[in-house]
Amino acid sequence: MHDGAPGPEPVGIVLVSHSESLVRGLRELLLQVGGPGVAVAVAGGTEDGRLGTSYARIADAITSVDQGSGVVVLADLGSAVLTARTVLADRGSRPGTSEERAVALVDAPLVEGAVAAAVIAATGADLATVRAAAEEARHARKL
Amino acid sequence: MPASSDPAAAIEERVVLPVALHARPAGALVRAVAGLDAQVELRFGDRAADARGVLGVLGLGASAGATVVIRASGPAAAEAARVAVEVLSTAE
Repeated sequence: MHDGAPGPEPVGIVLVSHSESLVRGLRELLLQVGGPGVAVAVAGGTEDGRLGTSYARIADAITSVDQGSGVVVLADLGSAVLTARTVLADRGSRPGTSEERAVALVDAPLVEGAVAAAVIAATGADLATVRAAAEEARHARKL
Repeated sequence: MPASSDPAAAIEERVVLPVALHARPAGALVRAVAGLDAQVELRFGDRAADARGVLGVLGLGASAGATVVIRASGPAAAEAARVAVEVLSTAE
């Protein structure tokens, strides 16, 4: 059973959106709020640069920030969520896979969840803690 | 009131924000207190936020020139209050 100790690398964060420019901008915000140590990859738009979602972009983004401490994925809505779920399902939960290599799709608003995740991931928190921080974004009031 | 055997009394500090408590300083504050054995609360007006949660801190909506109150308790209260004051008073 994994003991919860974080790996030396931060939990990776993947941002999935119908819009590439949207997640590129969000990534910049995450770097500002979490500092340069955050590992963030974006998967926005289709492979030919239009609005939509791309299985390949999501899969590549996950791989690029999977540094052994796990990955949280945040998505905007609709097909971004569906495609992300498909990518995760295809990765599967193989027997013997350690928790550090787990990838979690978080049920939280994209911006708020990502901001919360980035700050906590930057402190070296483990995957469960980062995921919990992102999920708390569902309840955050802004007014 | 804390028990007489409680060595960690709460520490309160006030900071006048040089800039609004936006994403960068909010993130810096949360990261600064994350590793400390202390509870840190921020108050602005009638709103309060746990300094361990960036969304709550951002939700305070504290603007430039606003006075925020830092309340730290626990074993590392003094250090937590000190770093919180430093982060907020030098925010840009």
